[in-house]
Amino acid sequence: MITTETLTTYVRKALPDAAVSVTDRTGTMDHFSIRVVSDMFKGKNLLDRHRLIYDALGEPMKDGRIHALEIKAETTDGS
Amino acid sequence: MADPIEDEIQAEIKKHKILIYGKGTKAMPQCGFTRETMQFFDKYGYPYELIDALPNPAKREALTRMTNWPTLPKVFINGKFYGDTDILDPMEKKGEIEPLLKEAFKNG
Repeated sequence: MITTETLTTYVRKALPDAAVSVTDRTGTMDHFSIRVVSDMFKGKNLLDRHRLIYDALGEPMKDGRIHALEIKAETTDGS
Repeated sequence: MADPIEDEIQAEIKKHKILIYGKGTKAMPQCGFTRETMQFFDKYGYPYELIDALPNPAKREALTRMTNWPTLPKVFINGKFYGDTDILDPMEKKGEIEPLLKEAFKNG
């Protein structure tokens, strides 16, 4: 289990400008959909954007606080 | 130093035009994302292979190392890594999947 605030903090450590919205998909606080908007994604393909997020959330994913994660990663102009 | 597990993976990637490493089997998927990935490809009607990565932790680690991608499922199309439906869905919206699969199955 992890709170959306903690999850957002982890993401912002790697992507300080990120706007992060988190949805708890099952009500168990460990299956999340997360949408991250950051201009640090500019010029990065989808795989690398997601890798950035997985790296930022490496710890809570390894220790099981995050069980399942669906990711949307966009720049501010929606590309 | 050739790693037999990595060789096994490389062979599987070459052999199957659409290959999903996931949790469980086609008959008994063990995870929503694995099922979702199969349903994604079911729409296109091309054959795909699902290899259960759960029974072999060493293979699962090799896959993570090779792809720099921490989760399952892991999808390969025509020998190239494409992550999972988080990657395939946006590609589909941009119309990139159909031509990719046509190309993969072009010569039968």
